[in-house]
Amino acid sequence: MTAPMRSYLRAFAIRIAAGIPVVLLVTFLATALSDLMPGSAAQAILGEFATPEQIAQLNAAYGYDLPAWQRYLRWLGGAVQGDFGVTLYSQQPVAEVLLARAAVTFEIALAAMLLSLAIAIPLALAMAARAGSRIDGAFRIAASAMLAVPTFVSVVVLSLLFSITLRWLPATGWVPLFEDPLENLRHIALPVLCLSVHQVAYFFRVARNEFLATLQQDFIASARAKGFSTPYILWRHALMPSLPQILTVMGLSLTYLLGGSFIVESFFAVPGIGWTVLAAVQDHDLAMVQAILCLTVAIFVIVFACVDLGYALIDPRLEVR
Amino acid sequence: MTAETLSGWRAGIARMRFPRSSFLEAFSIGFLILLVALAVLADWIPGLVNPNFPYGDFSAPPDLTLNGLFGTDALGRSILSRVIYGARQTLVIVILATAISMTGGLILGMIAGYCRGMAERTVDLLANTMAVLPPVLIILALVSVTGTSVVTMTLTLGILDIGTYARLTKGGVISQNQRDYVLAARALGAGHGRILFREILPNLVPTMTAVVPPLMAGLIITEGSLSFLGFGIPAPAPSWGGMIAASTDLISRFPLLIFGPILAIVLTVYALNTTGDFLARRIDIRERQI
Repeated sequence: MTAPMRSYLRAFAIRIAAGIPVVLLVTFLATALSDLMPGSAAQAILGEFATPEQIAQLNAAYGYDLPAWQRYLRWLGGAVQGDFGVTLYSQQPVAEVLLARAAVTFEIALAAMLLSLAIAIPLALAMAARAGSRIDGAFRIAASAMLAVPTFVSVVVLSLLFSITLRWLPATGWVPLFEDPLENLRHIALPVLCLSVHQVAYFFRVARNEFLATLQQDFIASARAKGFSTPYILWRHALMPSLPQILTVMGLSLTYLLGGSFIVESFFAVPGIGWTVLAAVQDHDLAMVQAILCLTVAIFVIVFACVDLGYALIDPRLEVR
Repeated sequence: MTAETLSGWRAGIARMRFPRSSFLEAFSIGFLILLVALAVLADWIPGLVNPNFPYGDFSAPPDLTLNGLFGTDALGRSILSRVIYGARQTLVIVILATAISMTGGLILGMIAGYCRGMAERTVDLLANTMAVLPPVLIILALVSVTGTSVVTMTLTLGILDIGTYARLTKGGVISQNQRDYVLAARALGAGHGRILFREILPNLVPTMTAVVPPLMAGLIITEGSLSFLGFGIPAPAPSWGGMIAASTDLISRFPLLIFGPILAIVLTVYALNTTGDFLARRIDIRERQI
């Protein structure tokens, strides 16, 4: 293994280690949640007609009568072995259910991110090259208008357009990718489009400003002096130095995509994490809520660590520490 | 220049000079003023009906009367009236949450930036934790145990943004701390409290004002999302997200009735973002002159 590779791995491990307190803090608070329930937690979950036996059974299974720290140790002991408890009603292992749902959410989030980048980056390069022109101004206004559209508005407007008026796409439902890839694509189209409205505008805005700053640098002027064509300069000289900023934005946009998944999944009845958490909230399925919190926070810690290291991989001048 | 000879709060305020605004920026600021005025004065607008009582036909299309401008909902209530009263509820939540997060963030950020060391690391941990939590998920988790509540939502929204304000304040304090005016005050024997509150804090005002409107826009979107999902402002009270969710059920028959609340929320978020850009441009001008 080469020396720089080893230092990258070390830096990655340090960043993940720094994220562990964050994960512990959030999951502990999630355990303490049931103490906020009015009266006894088991009673609140089962409703007012619960028998004492049912309450005792629930307490034995989930430990709601124990103090929060004991419950937390129990949960942590299971969690490190991959056991996140069982769901409240169907009694399936939480980890198993969650992994299947997470795959759906990530398929949609990834597709939305790739689609947005594929549209926004070339457009941003083209507009940065003609900054200040009318068409650049028009795209900037369009981008700030699109940034003002919340997901719960885009789902309503786009489904009105594409599924109710034009009848091109199914309004709800889900077909897994490996069952029927083509049907999967038809069902994924609307959720992905809805998430992309905001993402395209966001990536365009950041990338355009970043490219614009890069284009003012001396090495661009010298590339022009050498007689390279504008497209060549844009793709070969301007793109690379702007990537670290775009990478950060990709990491941050994951927060948006996961947040948007609640709306998109509940609106289009897609069985992903967002849909699961809404169902869990209605059922008071605290084991599921806690596992989702844990998963989300762990993902963010890993993503932000990757983003940090991505800088160093893109720009070798940056020192990895 | 006068601003350089003033000190403390008067200098901070005197430096808030405004660049020329474009048409869209002027429109945005005007829209926000109008929205706040409508929300505050809703009870005294002549002819505006009560948002919670039926006023006309069920799901009547928009017409040119005041109350019928956006049509009526499935219970015959005026959508315009509900949009205006919905603005009041949303603005109260957003302003209270911002007050909480700004106070908390300023205090934590100033401590972290001024004392550094252990205090900084603790605040960083808290800020990083809050940054990785999607607010909708956290509020849903809380709602799963406490039930839907405007107070819980406002408090949580306020607490979750403390991290952002703390990080910005910390950065500001660290960058101002070594400037000549702070060193001069210290040389003259000013105490920590005086330096923080009379010297540094006023100079953070321009930076902080520029970040407030976009963060408020984020709060409006989060509140709207929760109300849309049915976990935000409880049902009979008017809320933009709840109104959009309600008219979605009837959208194939009455598509026009959805545009009132959509227009309100999109314009508000746009106006807040644009105002934020405008204020940020003002800081750029100031920094360029230094």
